[in-house]
Amino acid sequence: MKGSLPRGFRDILPTEARELHAIERFLMSAFARYGYVPLEPPTVEFAESAVTLDERRTVRFLDRDGRLLALRPDVTTAVARVVAQRYPQADATLRLAYFAPIFREEASMRGSEREYDQAGVELIGDATLRADAEVIALLAEALASCGLAAADIDVGHVGFVDGFLAELPAEARAAAGEAVRAGDLVGTVALARAAGMSVASAAALERGLRHRSGDLAPARAGAPESSQRALDTLDALGPLLEAAGIGGAIQFDLGFIPALPYYTGVVFQVTVPDLGFPIATGGRYDGLLATFGADRPATGFGIAIPHLHQALVAAGWQAPADSPLLVLAPDGGDGTTTLRLAAALRGAGVAVAIGEVADSAGQDVRRARAIDDEHLEYEGVVRPLEAVIALLAERGSR
Amino acid sequence: MKALRIALAQGTLLADTQVALAAAGLATDALADGGRRLVVPSAEVEYILARPSDVPTHVAHGAADVGVVGKDVLLESDADVLELVDLGYGRCRFVVAAPAGSVDRSLDEYRHLGSLEVATKYPHVAERHFQGRGIQVEIIKLNGSVELAPQVGLADWIVDLVSTGRTLTENRLAIIEEIAICTARLIANRVSYARDRDRIAALASKLETWASSAR
Repeated sequence: MKGSLPRGFRDILPTEARELHAIERFLMSAFARYGYVPLEPPTVEFAESAVTLDERRTVRFLDRDGRLLALRPDVTTAVARVVAQRYPQADATLRLAYFAPIFREEASMRGSEREYDQAGVELIGDATLRADAEVIALLAEALASCGLAAADIDVGHVGFVDGFLAELPAEARAAAGEAVRAGDLVGTVALARAAGMSVASAAALERGLRHRSGDLAPARAGAPESSQRALDTLDALGPLLEAAGIGGAIQFDLGFIPALPYYTGVVFQVTVPDLGFPIATGGRYDGLLATFGADRPATGFGIAIPHLHQALVAAGWQAPADSPLLVLAPDGGDGTTTLRLAAALRGAGVAVAIGEVADSAGQDVRRARAIDDEHLEYEGVVRPLEAVIALLAERGSR
Repeated sequence: MKALRIALAQGTLLADTQVALAAAGLATDALADGGRRLVVPSAEVEYILARPSDVPTHVAHGAADVGVVGKDVLLESDADVLELVDLGYGRCRFVVAAPAGSVDRSLDEYRHLGSLEVATKYPHVAERHFQGRGIQVEIIKLNGSVELAPQVGLADWIVDLVSTGRTLTENRLAIIEEIAICTARLIANRVSYARDRDRIAALASKLETWASSAR
């Protein structure tokens, strides 16, 4: 159909595009302050590479060689491939950052987009708890640098629930693990009970899944050995986050279980009031890179840019003002005067559009009219070029 | 503090849901007045009355913080929500049924033609079930009176939700297999469950206590 778009894809018009570019600048410079360097993987990968997501959720097509390709469903897959191919030395620590559109197949009529921007970092090759603290602190700082207030960071550990399920037979363990990731806590406990978990253990598991606070002690009662170790890890993480300067924003949440199966340790998500979806999720995924032939510990996070943007706009955020745009009406001559004036203004750092501007993307717009090579009419008064430049510089710096 | 938003399924579950919520200490009088309002403010909560199949959508998108809806609806919807408590009431079963005495004939037909036609109001549940069984079926989505389909030659089997099974018997259908037992569930939005844990976990605990004493 002419003039329409495939479901789940849309045009991003100038005002929003300008805001998204501002968000990208804030995030990428925060990532850079922690030593993360940008990585730009291609948009298309072989479909079999995209292992991090259910195959029904990747956007796939055949190329002319008959190979099945997929639009990248995330950047983590590409990072894993790059690390395995380009950085084979096993002890290299890599800090990679990205801001890129990703593509997810969504059921129709869900109000979901199939293409959206994701920003994130991956810290490869560092298994320490300090590395977990680093990425959580970076996430908090990156979001704050965009101007996001009132965000909560929930920190959990997949080992807490795994410890309870470890005592079950393999098949029940897999089914219960799948249920808990799908959010079916009723089914998780029912499966575990049916497979022989004691009433006391089931009660302790349910209590743990409801536990969210800075203090983990109440969740310890009745928890098996390896779940205790997960709690020890979180207890040790607390002072590190404190030292990194973000202790206040953290809640320990044992009920936060990410939907993706590849996490192995500390996990976290960022939420804000009045938005039903998390803004960012992340955590440790030590086993994933091994599937690409590079067995390295890794942690990182992804920020869903549409959700971040939505939260910022809902809080009254505006893209930071650039210097004003001067819309210059031509003088009625052959255009040489107008072009000469515009060149002089731009040379002095003033943004100039000649004629009319139908969509200024929410920028601060000023208007002037060309009079002759040395003069403009600005704010109703004919002034020398230098005076207009000085006035605009004054306004722009405010 | 903002009122907790609770999405409730209109229809058969609503009366029991009111009892459960009242037992958990919530004011439900506003629901009882029989008005036609769809957003009902109450003391510390706000109720949203919705079609059962829309309740998971409201909760998944955060339009409601929590909801009460049947497991049957959750199985069909695939919405990303947290399922917190089995409330025990509204018990019904997803079943596969076929005309009484025709199971062998339809299986014979399946061996010849390689596929069975299954009529249902719940295409996701049916598709997932037969995929899990490795049986190839053509799903025919109907919006009502599914038990008619085998009689008029529209389908070989049906997948339907039954509570007593009387409708099946009256239409000379026999249950071949039970897919799942469904009861009402307390569900929550993932973000609301994190941010509003104290209130939602307290509600879940009270409802669980009530449900286990009713069992």
